[in-house]
Amino acid sequence: MAEFPIACNLQGDYGFKVIVVDEDDTIADVIQKTSDQLVGVLVAPFPPDTVLKARIHGAEEPLDDDVTLKGANILQMAALDIYAEG
Amino acid sequence: MALLKMEEWYDLARETNWTPSYASEEELYPETMSEDFGIPLNVWETFDEPYKVSYRDYVRAQRDKDVAAYSVKAALARAEFFKNASPHWKALLALHFSAVCWAEFHSASCFGRMTRFGRAPGMRNMATFGTLDEIRHGQIQIYFAYEFLKHDAVFDWCHKSSKTENWIIISLRHALDDIAHTRDGTTAGVMLNMGLEQSFTNLQFVALSADAAKCGDHSFATMLQSIQTDEARHAQIGEPLVRILCENGRKKEAQQMVDISFWRMWKQFSALSGIGMDYYTPLEHRENSLKEFMEEWVIGQFGRTVEAMGLALPWYWDYLKHDIATFHHAQQIGVYVYRATQWWRPIASVSPAEREWLEEKYPGWNDTFGKCWDVVTENIRNGHYDKTVPAPPPLICNMCHLEVSGVAGGEWQPVDYHVDLDGRRYHFCCEPCKWIFELEPARYKGHRSIIDRAFDGTIGPELDDFLNYMGQSEPERGVCGYDYQWIDGYDTPVAAE
Repeated sequence: MAEFPIACNLQGDYGFKVIVVDEDDTIADVIQKTSDQLVGVLVAPFPPDTVLKARIHGAEEPLDDDVTLKGANILQMAALDIYAEG
Repeated sequence: MALLKMEEWYDLARETNWTPSYASEEELYPETMSEDFGIPLNVWETFDEPYKVSYRDYVRAQRDKDVAAYSVKAALARAEFFKNASPHWKALLALHFSAVCWAEFHSASCFGRMTRFGRAPGMRNMATFGTLDEIRHGQIQIYFAYEFLKHDAVFDWCHKSSKTENWIIISLRHALDDIAHTRDGTTAGVMLNMGLEQSFTNLQFVALSADAAKCGDHSFATMLQSIQTDEARHAQIGEPLVRILCENGRKKEAQQMVDISFWRMWKQFSALSGIGMDYYTPLEHRENSLKEFMEEWVIGQFGRTVEAMGLALPWYWDYLKHDIATFHHAQQIGVYVYRATQWWRPIASVSPAEREWLEEKYPGWNDTFGKCWDVVTENIRNGHYDKTVPAPPPLICNMCHLEVSGVAGGEWQPVDYHVDLDGRRYHFCCEPCKWIFELEPARYKGHRSIIDRAFDGTIGPELDDFLNYMGQSEPERGVCGYDYQWIDGYDTPVAAE
């Protein structure tokens, strides 16, 4: 287990936050940890059945939910956009 | 005996260049302190300041200004005004004095460098007055602020702030160190005068003084006016320097100095004065928004000044027009929700009436930044105060050291730029901040933002560690300036969960 800070901007929020995750966390874990900390604080709850995805900031395609940060070669303090699919 | 008129002796009296015999020209004017850009001395000697003043007249005018400011202060019993002032105005005073007193005082060092190392005698003459101005500005402002200390310990930060590692102070200090305190006399002359004083300070003091008068704070208004007139005079050092550079093959360098310094100061102005104008000024006294102010006085007037000097508008001018409507709104949310990291008591300023004003001045505000405030508002209405403070820290720009932010809500637009260098990732809030870094990475790469320090072990892991590192003991940690009472304007009762 290694502390792994990553910059995430959850859809609706005004800016990036530094979320501390683990390098073995999957992208789905990162999405969950980010939304747990920001939904109901700065971002209104998403409608039921909303699927959140993550992408490297500036990229078109989402990252696979099941891949780990290490597996996706994501560096510490990399910037991710987390957004509602569709 | 009749005295000569100033115009009859001024040119002669300021011709103070001489041929050194005990030291070389290079020893007298080392390049690191006195860059001449390869332009011969006789060209620098053509520097002609547009506003001329003699020492006799300078002292007389300054004495009169001091008498006026201190008399108004004494006559109006400021302490009573302060007791009755709204939390809005108290927050604005605390923010202004804590950020400006030391910055003005430090500027004396920059003008002192211009006085000693300026190549043109006329420049040195003007810079001498500028040095005296800045000492006066530091002193008068800290004196006016000091009176409040017996009523509110927040004002201790007017003196203390510059010596702390508070994140907002780091941001302002980094910008001023960059343009004013780590440049040679010529470059600092252009950057400080053009990038700060001619573009922002002069105009800011006019606008703030008008707001102060409308709020009934006449002593603050008088003090600001007395400072503004100094700024208007000594800011005119930059223009002749730019003209000399442009006319002698150094337009590119002059353009870069203006482009860097203007952007660095815009970011500070946006976050500090932008919040002051659009959120901290009491609603009943607000007229122009930051955006309107910028469009008229800076994008319009300063833009024309830049072009009249033979320079182009900065390359990011179109982006600036977008930034004036967004950046400070995002920063205001951060300043409020991370309020414990502020030494003053932040104001939300999003009551229904205030939101109406924001929507009128910034169409779409309710659907963008207003969406974050909706969530904060609901949490307060439900008594969930703990949920008004985000657990994760914000990402901080490695140039302006303010939050990396974009557009919130329904028009969500995440913004981030980065540079990877020597195994480290540097984040930037905008393309101009990244551009400045990339011009001279060696100059900037060693600096660590407050967030870098939190994750490299410089600061301990607990929130208390973070706040103590920033110099904030428990009573010095910001709380809501209205103790959440601003929520009273929302009339619909909220059912308890």
